[in-house]
Amino acid sequence: MQELTLKQTLNSLSGFIPETVLIATVIVCLFLDLILRKKSVIVAVAGIVGLLVSGYFAYLQFGMREVIFTGMAVVDPFAVFFKILFVVSTIFVIIFTISSKEIQESTHHNEHVYLMVAMALGAFLMASASNMIMMYLSLETVSISSYILSGYTKRIKRSSEAAMKYVIYGAASSGIMIYGMSLIYGFTGSMNIYEISAILAKSAVTGNPVIVMSIIMILAGFGYKISSVPFHFWTPDVYEGAPVPVTAFLAVTSSAAGFAVMIRFFAVTFLQNNILLNGKLQIIPGINWTEIIVVLSVASMIIGNFTAVWQQSVKRMLAYSSIAQGGYIMLGMTMATQQGLTAMLVYLMGYLFMTLGAFYVVILVANKVDSDELVDMRGFGYKSPVIAVFMAVFMFSLAGIPSTVGFVGKFYLFSALIESNMVWLALVAVLNSVVSLFFYIKVLKYMFLMKPEEELTPKYQYGIGNYAVLLLLALPVMFFGLYFAPLVKIAEYSAILIGLK
Amino acid sequence: MLELNYFLVLSALLFSIGVVGVLVRRNAMIIFMCIELMLNAINISLVAFSSFLGNDSGQIFVFFVLTVAAAEAAVGLAIVISLFRNKESLDIDKINILKW
Amino acid sequence: MNIETIIFLVFGITAVVSAVLMVTRKNPIISAIFLILNFFTVAVIYLLLKAQFIAIIQVLVYMGAIMVLFLFVIMLLNLKENKKPSEYSFKKITAILISILLALLLGTSVYFGFQGKQMNEVAEKIGTAESLGRTLFTTYSFHVLAAGMLLLAAIVGAVMLAKKKFE
Repeated sequence: MQELTLKQTLNSLSGFIPETVLIATVIVCLFLDLILRKKSVIVAVAGIVGLLVSGYFAYLQFGMREVIFTGMAVVDPFAVFFKILFVVSTIFVIIFTISSKEIQESTHHNEHVYLMVAMALGAFLMASASNMIMMYLSLETVSISSYILSGYTKRIKRSSEAAMKYVIYGAASSGIMIYGMSLIYGFTGSMNIYEISAILAKSAVTGNPVIVMSIIMILAGFGYKISSVPFHFWTPDVYEGAPVPVTAFLAVTSSAAGFAVMIRFFAVTFLQNNILLNGKLQIIPGINWTEIIVVLSVASMIIGNFTAVWQQSVKRMLAYSSIAQGGYIMLGMTMATQQGLTAMLVYLMGYLFMTLGAFYVVILVANKVDSDELVDMRGFGYKSPVIAVFMAVFMFSLAGIPSTVGFVGKFYLFSALIESNMVWLALVAVLNSVVSLFFYIKVLKYMFLMKPEEELTPKYQYGIGNYAVLLLLALPVMFFGLYFAPLVKIAEYSAILIGLK
Repeated sequence: MLELNYFLVLSALLFSIGVVGVLVRRNAMIIFMCIELMLNAINISLVAFSSFLGNDSGQIFVFFVLTVAAAEAAVGLAIVISLFRNKESLDIDKINILKW
Repeated sequence: MNIETIIFLVFGITAVVSAVLMVTRKNPIISAIFLILNFFTVAVIYLLLKAQFIAIIQVLVYMGAIMVLFLFVIMLLNLKENKKPSEYSFKKITAILISILLALLLGTSVYFGFQGKQMNEVAEKIGTAESLGRTLFTTYSFHVLAAGMLLLAAIVGAVMLAKKKFE
């Protein structure tokens, strides 16, 4: 443990510019809000500008491979990939809040903007943390901001209920996680994941119950963030109760951040670094964490997809769908290969656009009918055909129909599985995709085929801005679905973590 | 002499009692207290490891656990207050608009 | 049996008993008071572990700040005591069984996993305010920064959620 000198701090700060910009953005937005004292787009615009600047600096970091703040965080293409993903999703969600009736009619002014930026900052730190204390702190930054955001519309009972359930689950599972971390610390005497990995590789850990317990306990914390199955109980309720833009934010940014920290933790700590055998990274002997992940992933896919079929609320259905999608993404970790990681990143990038798009349509529908039930979507295809067609694109992509980005992600995942001889797992995943098709299509059935009791004549009017945002989300879904080479190339480049060669 | 595993067993016991509380109790305030108890148990094992290994990272971790616990308690209690204004009850069995 | 072991046994048993009482009491105020007792005994355990600064922080922050906040909210909300007798449902009994299993599993694995370790001689030095402060503001300065952001978000959120009306 070396001491940090002033020179090292200054050097580290040069690798810390995107985060610094975000901190400045939070403070600027806070003061703007205090000065304006009313609802205003200015704060949202300031937040978006700050995020764009931060995203630009993050983009400049592409290619950097550095350890900053004496090993507390790293800057590598993997972290930068996630930072850009968080910037994109946060900007979209802030735009969503401008057009969401729920947020605009709440009693607050503009707190959601800087809470979202603070959450993005936490997500940035999660993606780059290489120290267990930092992982815990950044995870809690994201969690605390999301507890507040899910209780944002406090006059509405179900929103404060959702916040209550979220805070109880969140606090308990992060507590379980740090118990696991404390056991690993006690076993190895270090908080740095690179040092832990080196120590574990040297010591014989085969069958040591302490390590197995700690892996399971740490998975409780990460699993709660990505809403993987045994830790998913909060997901449907919080997704249903929270305002829709917040739900979209939780589904995308929060769970992507969970994946970022989980991949870094497991890939760095429990793989023998720098040892490649037949193109496969070697798991530290005696720690079969990939088997635990297989179980979680299969359970998430099956429970997520089969429960989603019965849901009557679109938000609840999307909640179970995101549990299932999380299961697919986790498949990429089960084989501990570079290909698996690449497929995960491709999938996450696609997941970002299609999920945000689906939630934006839910916001637009809820603005008109004040409901998120499937029944109230009847006839939407006649009242607003353009938006319904966009919804069809996002639903097809989530189901994994060819020529959408969802298909590309699934294709890469399944082919990576088959290449590492896990055919049965690929088969389970394909069967699950077939089931998922059923409930994604059900939304379209309600929109296009079923007619409501009232008349269809007064068509819903939407502003040009709403269509523009939808187009911005749908274009990448279509574009990357057909021309996926650049996306795959970036993902391949980003899948190389520091320490894993 | 005191050994490391005495402290660890104490920590494991307190942690499990906290888990029972979170699972069994229905009053939101008491659930929050049980979570504080869990965090406290974790702090014991972190401090024990830190002292027995002669490494101060563990005690620094305790610091941040305390910080987060305070922040979480503040936010959690604010949510309790806003929920109580809506529902006049803290029994989480009565918090049932959403179906868990 | 030396004096340290006796102190450990006395305060360790008090900690467990007060924790059990905290979980089983119906009235939240009595629970809170047992939790304060538990925090106090844990502070003594920290002193046994030669972590003097953490022990003081435990008393100041946990007992002085967090628990006062809890008591304040309980009194503010004026919770009525739950009069109905507690029933033992299937769910409750499974929860208790699971937790006993957890305690056994955790307890045995840490008991046998970390046997025969003796207190490190530098323990006395690292527990002081001076040494911890030095580490905190040099090696871990990055974390202090992140914790600052977390507290800012929590302050904004707590005020926003608990305030009756925003004007």
